[in-house]
Amino acid sequence: MTGGLASLFGWAFLVPLLPALAFIVIGLFGTRLRRLEYGGWIAVGAAAVSMVLALLIALGEMASPDTYTSLSYTWFSLPANPTFPYGFSLVIGTLVDPISSLMLIVVTVVGFLVLLYSIGYMHHEHGLARYYAELSLFLTAMIGLVLSNNLLEFFLFWELVGVCSYFLIGFFYEKPSAASAAKEAFLITRIGDVLFLLGIFIFFYVYASAGPAGLHWASSGFLFAYGNLPFLAGSLGANTPLLTIAGLCILAGAAGKSAQFPLHVWLPDAMEGPTTVSALIHAATMVAAGVYLLAMTSIFLGFTPTDQLAIVAIGGFTTLFAATMAVVHTDIKRVIAYSTISQLGYMVLAVGAGFAMVGLYHLFTHAFFKALLFLAAGSVIHAIGTQDLFKMGGLKRHLRVTGAAFAIGGLALAGIPPFAGFWSKDDILSSVYSVAGSHPDYWPFLIMAMAAVFLTGYYIFRVWFLTFSGDRIRDPTLPTPHEGPWVMQVPLIVLSGFAVGAGLLIFLPGFANLFLLPGGVAALGIPPTYGTTDLLLSVLGVALGGGGILTAWALWGNGRMVELPEGSLWSSGRKVLLNRYYFKVAYDAVGAKAVYSVARAADFFDQFVIDGTVRGIEQLFSRISDRMRRIQSGVVSDYAAYVVAGLLAVFVLLLLVGPYLVNWVGGG
Amino acid sequence: MTTLPVGDFLALASGLVAISIFGILTRRNFILLLIALEIGMNAAILSFVYFAAFPQCVTAATCHPLTGQAIAVVVIGLAATEVAVGLAIVLALHRIRGTTNVAEADSLKL
Amino acid sequence: MTFPIISVTLASLAVGTVVTFVAGRYARWAALATTLVFLLEIGVMMALFFAAPGPLIGGVPSGDAETYAWISLSWLHINYSVAVDGLSLALILLTGVLQLATVVYSWTESKRPGPWFGLILLTGLGSVGVFASMDILLFFLFWEAVLVPMFFIIGYWGGPRRRYAAIKFFIYTHVGSVVVLVGLLVMAFYSGAGSFDYGAIYAAAPDLSVVQQSLVFVALLFGFGVKFPIVPFHTWLPDAHVEAPTGGSVLLAGLLLKLGGYGLIRWAVLVLPSGFLHMDPLVYFIAFASIAWGSVVALSQRDLKRMVAYSSINHMGIVLLAIAVDSSLGLMAAVFLMFAHGVVSGLLFMVSGSVHHTYGTRDIAGIGGIAAVTPVLATMIMIGSLASLGLPALIGFPAEFSAFLATWVAIGYWVLIPLGILVVTAAFYLWMMQRLVFGPQKGIPLKVHDLPIPERIGMGILVAAIVLFGVLPALLVNLILQSPIRGF
Repeated sequence: MTGGLASLFGWAFLVPLLPALAFIVIGLFGTRLRRLEYGGWIAVGAAAVSMVLALLIALGEMASPDTYTSLSYTWFSLPANPTFPYGFSLVIGTLVDPISSLMLIVVTVVGFLVLLYSIGYMHHEHGLARYYAELSLFLTAMIGLVLSNNLLEFFLFWELVGVCSYFLIGFFYEKPSAASAAKEAFLITRIGDVLFLLGIFIFFYVYASAGPAGLHWASSGFLFAYGNLPFLAGSLGANTPLLTIAGLCILAGAAGKSAQFPLHVWLPDAMEGPTTVSALIHAATMVAAGVYLLAMTSIFLGFTPTDQLAIVAIGGFTTLFAATMAVVHTDIKRVIAYSTISQLGYMVLAVGAGFAMVGLYHLFTHAFFKALLFLAAGSVIHAIGTQDLFKMGGLKRHLRVTGAAFAIGGLALAGIPPFAGFWSKDDILSSVYSVAGSHPDYWPFLIMAMAAVFLTGYYIFRVWFLTFSGDRIRDPTLPTPHEGPWVMQVPLIVLSGFAVGAGLLIFLPGFANLFLLPGGVAALGIPPTYGTTDLLLSVLGVALGGGGILTAWALWGNGRMVELPEGSLWSSGRKVLLNRYYFKVAYDAVGAKAVYSVARAADFFDQFVIDGTVRGIEQLFSRISDRMRRIQSGVVSDYAAYVVAGLLAVFVLLLLVGPYLVNWVGGG
Repeated sequence: MTTLPVGDFLALASGLVAISIFGILTRRNFILLLIALEIGMNAAILSFVYFAAFPQCVTAATCHPLTGQAIAVVVIGLAATEVAVGLAIVLALHRIRGTTNVAEADSLKL
Repeated sequence: MTFPIISVTLASLAVGTVVTFVAGRYARWAALATTLVFLLEIGVMMALFFAAPGPLIGGVPSGDAETYAWISLSWLHINYSVAVDGLSLALILLTGVLQLATVVYSWTESKRPGPWFGLILLTGLGSVGVFASMDILLFFLFWEAVLVPMFFIIGYWGGPRRRYAAIKFFIYTHVGSVVVLVGLLVMAFYSGAGSFDYGAIYAAAPDLSVVQQSLVFVALLFGFGVKFPIVPFHTWLPDAHVEAPTGGSVLLAGLLLKLGGYGLIRWAVLVLPSGFLHMDPLVYFIAFASIAWGSVVALSQRDLKRMVAYSSINHMGIVLLAIAVDSSLGLMAAVFLMFAHGVVSGLLFMVSGSVHHTYGTRDIAGIGGIAAVTPVLATMIMIGSLASLGLPALIGFPAEFSAFLATWVAIGYWVLIPLGILVVTAAFYLWMMQRLVFGPQKGIPLKVHDLPIPERIGMGILVAAIVLFGVLPALLVNLILQSPIRGF
């Protein structure tokens, strides 16, 4: 059995290939496949087969954790030359190891469920063929990303998921806000990507030119492979400043993708896309890719202590920063989006503190309960057609499945045992706490993260109470709500199951193997502890989360509304938060106004100074030639006189400079 | 064999050229212009013939003793054709403009 | 190479050009047939070349050029001499692809089709000649021969200010040509080569003093640079593009700019390594200036075509940067990037032309939401823009990746300047798409139907090249590396 499943590793490339085929088929013929929901069922089918294959691969890894790389294609290579004395080659291949199979589960399961949900949710929209084609392409790229076996391949798919996200955010492209949000998302992640690319260059060059050990590594394709670890660890010491910068560049890339401070502004705006897209791309998978990148880098390349502090700082600060904004927003999707930023902050925090596996563990559980929250929110939006929380209320009687699902997701998010979020969040807090003694710098960020736990419980149940509790809908003009079709309910139920049990999965025999690194390098990826190491801390975490829920109940439960007094400190604070600390305004001022003004000035300079000079020279010559042409009197004698004068001038010149000329040329 | 001293010859040739240039610059009559031109050309022909007799030339590998004379003959031929063309232009000019004054034939100016 | 395939190719292109000129209504068929034969010949050329690649280290790329002595004096040898290596072949392939795409795209050209298609073929002929010539005189003949058809294409088929643009183009590039000629002649005579032959000059060039080498290099940099174009000698390009007809723009951006890059690599960088080394800071400076200037000015353009023209300045700046890096990887990246820019800017100029056909204007701010009106055209705009801003799996990425990697290796953190500009490049393309492709519908289309079939096929050819070499860059990389670049 084991051998049978492990032999699937070589076929791992099929997992991304199936959605790719779906993309091609739907892209070419989607508009003619009306019966198949414009290709929707093809996408679902491809995703289902991918999911089964991925689960089998994961089972194989659970049974016998191993690393399996297959090089399928040399992207391009350069022979030895003075700059790269050993040459290098860049390969595209698949890497199946415990971590990537864990990610495979996340991507394919959530991907499949979201596609299934889309069949019901998107049914009435136009451009479905485009939607399913782009979503299939996204799945391809995302699976390719988790199966990447080197940083360059990783970057390749990283950009591809980015562009899929761009298209899907702009799915309702006729809305100016959607078109603008898509552009914003692409541009801001691009800032991170550019630095990420520099980080790749640094790592690549440091290792590619680092003697015999580097020779092996660069010429065989710059792989993520455990066998290289001793070498990499050895070079770390020698190149610390350079590698610190490289690590910071990687962090910048991850911050762009995972919407960490200060590159966080795009994610809430990305909610302009369909809710399904938000669930899959902007909650479960793509935004988590930044965390995955940090984890892979910390395991295979290593961060210096300075980098680690920077990562902890960014992650820890973001948890609280984003949670505060989630507290006041009234758009159901935006609140969940801020929650996503905040939760990604936890993962970044864990990875930065050296617990890559713990971070990935939270990534795993978070993917399910956050996708659940988004899909439940989508179910609400589908039912009543608004995203404004203050117009909702009393929906629990109409939407029982959705209400229950949202509550389960909320409890998981708030970290209440035994729901999934508790296990992973508790693990993060306790593991960071365990190193805070030796790294006092981490303390403030740990405290921020603790504070954010309280806010998490508060904001998510504020949403729940506003939406579901009470006895009536606040806006009477809204239609009578009803649950969606079965294709929408099934994903909610399945994901609810995951939100309850994903944390408990580790008690499944073998599952914990997915958090182990084979080859005796566990030191670089400390596995989760799957339970409380510090009971007091756990109790504190749960109490904070529960306290948040209770506060939310006290303020918003049973259809209550809280009116902040005008002009008070509270309401001005609310204004700052609603304006997102004015980051968006500032970015617009720099991005749109300042840069555009520079561009206009440059254009002016180009047209009137550079080209003006050219035109000036042209006019100068026409003036001169206009004067000169008057010499052309047409009289033969005048011309003869010029000839004679010219001849005389040449004679005089030769007499004067001739001797020097002869000397200079060296002739006889 | 008595030879003409170089200085004397150059004085002769330069004088001819000077007369020629003087004529070209001062005359307005086309025919007189042509005559002045011919005088200048004669100076060139004389030079070829005169310097062909110099021993430096005769001994040089690339030079045949008769080269100068040959070129002189070619120039004489050239002068003849030139005069033929020139006179043809004079006739045409006279027919069209009724004059042989070159100062009046200035319609080619820009 | 026993079979004189290069000469046969040149001859077949010449015959095809003449036939096309006089073919009248059948000109497009004659042009298509010539182009298909040309592509076939490129295939044969590659097959023969890879069968016997010849020595790649020395001056003459392939050991056995097709040579025929024109003038042979004791102090000067001028030959008809053509040869190809990977460097040439990559760009000849680009010529073939662009020529095919242009002929198909302008299939329905009705304004004097004979001369139109003939001039397109003549541009291709001249380009192939430039890429294959191994003799100064021959090189210069072809170099100038490319100018003439483009002058007429802009001057006759162009927009309202076509005369101004054509003359500006001609004067600029001609001044560049003259300086190139002076540089090449100095190289031929002062080095004591006594020959116009590339191999002889390559062997003798190290005899020039460093000062002479540097001066000659600067002359060649200026002369070839005008074609690139480098800042500040670039202002002819936007004018020429805006006024040129679509097919003319495709060839102008796709081929003519590449002549400058090829010339600089073949005749300056490879021949004068120490002069290059001394002038390298200047090259870096110009490259950075071009990259930044092209991108920033493009951001403020309202005319789609003008924007693409400025983005060409930016991309050719990256080519120059990759050349300046002075390494095997850099030169490979430069050639790859030229190929990439050729097909991508070709596609972008085609979509600009099609937008103009559909709406009667190219004003980005005046048109909107074309995704709903002409989805195929919108898709093409998106593919072109994304390829141009360097999306992986499209051709721009491997090229830019190599170029910036080489830059990092050579000059370290200076690479942040072009990398930062990448964000600006992304910004102007995305902003253009936001306004033009997405958003509510704006502007009144002159015709309701989507792209006509010939335009679709023409763009499709370029998209195929963009995707093929983006996914499998090794095809092109291995070809380019079959040249002196490999050991540089």
